[in-house]
Parts: sequence; structure tokens; C-alpha cells
Amino acid sequence: MSKETIKAKAKLVIVDDIDTDQIFHQSLLTIHDPNEIKPHIFGNLEGYKSFGKEDNVGKILLVGKNFGKGSTRQQAVTGFIAHGITAIIGESFGPIYYSNSVNSGLLLVEVPGISEFKVKEDDNLEIDITQSLIINQNNGETIKCVKIPQPVLDIIKAGGLLKLGEIM
Amino acid sequence: MTSFTLLEKIIRNRTDVSDSEIYPNNIVWVDLDLVTARDYAGPQVIDLFQKNYIGSKTFNNEKVIFTPDCYPYGNDPKHAKDQEKIRVFAKEHGIKVTDLGSGIGSHLLFRRGFSKPGDVVIGADSHYNILGALGILGQGAGDVMLAFALKTGKSWIKIPETVKVILKGDYEWPTTAKDLALYVLKELHEYGITGKAVEFYGAIIDKLSIEERVTLCSLITEASGVIGFVPADKITADYYSEIGIEIEMLSADEDARYISELVLDIQDLGQYIACPPHPHNVKKIEEVIGTPINSIVIGSCTNGSSADIHDAAKILKGHKINPNVRFGIVPATREDFVSINLNGDMTIILESGGNFFGAGCSTCAKGQYGLTGGETAVTLTTGNRNTQGKIGPADVYLASPVVAAATAIEGKIAAPKEVVKR
Repeated sequence: MSKETIKAKAKLVIVDDIDTDQIFHQSLLTIHDPNEIKPHIFGNLEGYKSFGKEDNVGKILLVGKNFGKGSTRQQAVTGFIAHGITAIIGESFGPIYYSNSVNSGLLLVEVPGISEFKVKEDDNLEIDITQSLIINQNNGETIKCVKIPQPVLDIIKAGGLLKLGEIM
Repeated sequence: MTSFTLLEKIIRNRTDVSDSEIYPNNIVWVDLDLVTARDYAGPQVIDLFQKNYIGSKTFNNEKVIFTPDCYPYGNDPKHAKDQEKIRVFAKEHGIKVTDLGSGIGSHLLFRRGFSKPGDVVIGADSHYNILGALGILGQGAGDVMLAFALKTGKSWIKIPETVKVILKGDYEWPTTAKDLALYVLKELHEYGITGKAVEFYGAIIDKLSIEERVTLCSLITEASGVIGFVPADKITADYYSEIGIEIEMLSADEDARYISELVLDIQDLGQYIACPPHPHNVKKIEEVIGTPINSIVIGSCTNGSSADIHDAAKILKGHKINPNVRFGIVPATREDFVSINLNGDMTIILESGGNFFGAGCSTCAKGQYGLTGGETAVTLTTGNRNTQGKIGPADVYLASPVVAAATAIEGKIAAPKEVVKR
């Protein structure tokens, strides 16, 4: 990541404990093509079932606590990459989801106390990686995020773990 | 001066980052001493490697081993093909293969000296953390991480918090290391060690052989822990010196930053058994004595060593297996097979009615489904998993080799009270 900041609009899905079945239902597990996975994302999450058909390209997704808990299914990560989501900010993530995401090149940012952060749909957010800060440019709110570890930045910059392997 | 836990010290020796970066929950790159894969996941790792790194060599073919052990007989065409893929790739890249019948990869790593205390090794085996029994940081890894590691010799690790566990007291036969492991699993599962490492201490540790330490550390996965360590000591050093390897006795700093300390009283510990449907559903054996059992297996990385088989042979000598029971023994490694052949245990068990199968994994990894039987066959194994539908279609209990042998004679769960020493 040559750039030390990421700027994008916010997309809010602030629900705690979203599991991988709510992200991408187990009845669809034979689907592996990213473009076919895309329309099913959050297809099983009450209130957000239209997400799959929306255009959220380039946005930063904001979620709650323990996002992506449950199974190891890769489609629950691939779907967001297919949507062009830049990063996901949440209070915390399921450990397997975290490693699946990072290894696929999708940046996850942990923010303790994210529920205190004042943000509206489509606010302009900035992730300052050097200072470990999230800034809402619309209202000037800032909140500290957990320092993004260097290996995670290396992997994201390369576009995923296997891609990083090409240049190491 | 910063102080470190054992896990932090091992990482510190295998990473470029400064000491200030070594703290719980941070993620760091580590240089791997060894990358392994077996017939489960190994073929997928090879596919990913060949697809992503066309024409590439591995980071160091001397630091890669393929250890097919899950499906010891390649007992269907798919597994046979997968195993062949491993052999072809290994030959092309000059990589060592411990082929079928050699035994469980994780055991071969210490038995044959492929790995030593202070090393960091990864493989496609969720029980690679048994290597913590020798002060080795062993971790299971997924296909993607292993393919990357094969190319680069590196992996990333989220540094876990460490719980210091002190085992207070002592126990006597017929209580064994498996009962200790089951009791510790029950306590640690209740206490909560999800995502955490454990270091074991206490006077009992000085009395435990390497095999017993492996058993103790083998159920940390079932408590959702990262790894359980027995820091390398004289027992570890003596073990390695027999295979001509000198080791460094790495230990945690006196004032290491533990997340918590837990004292477990193991004085006069009884015998324990894991009941269906979870390994952590551990009960005193008295609660299930008399439960009819149809299929018994001694084996696995938890309890498949020659010492474990010897424990069973002591009970079985001069007795016959109950006619309602099928009794299978799967030695962990070829070396264990040789030992029980030389000391007569194999004959004792064969004469009692037990059957031996090729060295390797037994029931836990699903590769030897036939050992357990059908829907009406209740199983007791010395392994580490009792997941219904994976190990067998019916109920599965987990116990020590001593309990397994006594149960084999009775045809129902039994605890030996006395035994003729030989």
C-alpha cells in the first residue's frame, strides 16, 4: 500500500454477529464464480437483502461486532471483492474470516467502540493507516483503529497472499 | 528490558521485526523451519502452487516434506490419485516423502529429528500443535497459506496471549497421561482458551516422557486453543541426543507477560473419558462404566505410540477380546511398529484377538471409517475426536489405551483396578 490513506464513501450494515450463512447461504456453496456469488451477498440478512443488487463499488463497508463468524467459506469474502468493496471496518471479526479476507486481499480494520462513531450512509471516510485513525470528513469525527499489522498491509498491497508470493 | 513467553521467544528468533512488535494480537511474518503437507490438502496445495507460481521452485526443497498419513491405504481411487500427485510433484522438486506406512507426519517430525525445539513448522493438520510438547511451534494451516509458504518459506501469525497452567500434584496407574489430557481439556474448555496458547508447568512435567507430553498437548485443539507447550528440558534434550541432535532449551522469561495463571489440582486424578458428542464432554469414567462397546481403536497422534500400545498389552496379556468387539491397533509410526514387534507386545495383542493396521492416522481424520463400523457400532478410541458422523455413524467415546484394553476384554466400558506388571 504505497498510499497511506484510503478514502471512500461509507456503506452501513451495522449489525452484530453476522455469520457466513447470512453473508452467503450454505445452500449456494456450489457457486464459486465471483460474478455469480455477487448478487447473493447478504441474501439471508434481514433488512439488507437488496445489497447484492446495489452498486457499492469502491465503498468502505461498516459492520458491527464479530463479523463473519461461522464457517470457513471463501465465498463470504469473494462476494465483497466482486462488489468492489475497498475495506471493511468493524468492531471485531471472526478469526477465520479475518485470515480468509486478508489472504484474499480484502482489508479488514478493527475499531473498538465503532458503535460510538457517528457516520451516515455515503459519508466520506478516510482510513489513515500511519496514524491508525478513521476520519469522517463530513462531520470531522475521528476514531482510533487497531494498528494494521505490516504483514496485512504487505498482503493487501500485493492483492492477496498468493499474489504476494509471486514477488517474494 | 522486555520479557517474553515461550511462544513470543520462538517467534522472536524467526522474524525480522523489533521486540516492540512482539506482543499479543499483533501479526508478524515468521521464517519457517519446515513446511509440510499430507494427502489431505496436500494435492490442493500443489494445485495452487503450480497455478500461481508457474515454473517456480520451492523456497528450499530441504525444508519441505510430504507426509501422506490420512488415508494409509489410499483406499479409494480419489485418494490413490491424490497420493500419486504428491509423489510426482515431490520427485520433480527433490522433496522428501514419508510415504504410506511411515506414520503420522507430526510424529515423524520429532521421531526422525526433522524438527527440533524452537522451530516453527506448519502443515495441513489441525493437531500440528502437539509439537508444543517438544517446545516446537507447530501449527495447522490452510491450502492458501501452505502454497504461499512452499514458495516463500514464510507465513504470518497472530501472536496469541498465553495462559500459564500449573499442574499441581501427582497420579498413579491406571491413571495415565490421557486421563490427564482429558481432565485438562475439560478444565481449559470451561476456563476458555479460545485463540490462546498455554504453557504447562508443575512437578508432574518432570515425570512425563515425550510420548506422555505429546498426549497432554494433543487436546488443546479440542479446547480451541492455539498450542500447549512443555518447554524443552533435560527429558527433551535426552530424547534428541539419542537421535544425534543437540538442542537449545528455550524457555519463557521469568517475568513473561501471561494473560492469566491457572492452577489445576491433579492429585490422585482418576480416570476420565470423553463422551459423545464432543471431545470436551469429559466425565469421570465411573459415570459410564458398563456402556456396551462394539469397536475399539488404539491409535492417533494422541495415543498411537509404542508406549501407548504397551499400556494396552499389559492389560491384555493372557486375556481374550470379547467376541462382541472388533479391536484395531494403528501404530503412529513405523518406529512404533518395530518397537512393539521387538518387545513382544504385538504378539500379545494378536493372540488376544486384536488386529494391526498400517502405521498412520487412525479414525480422527476420517480416513479409516471402516474401523469404527456401522450405525449400531458404538466405538471407543484413544484418539482426539469423537465427532459423530466423522469418526463413525454411531456414538464415539475417547479414553486411554488402558481403558481401551480393559473395555476390549469386557465388551463394555471398564476401568482396570490392578494389572500384572511385566
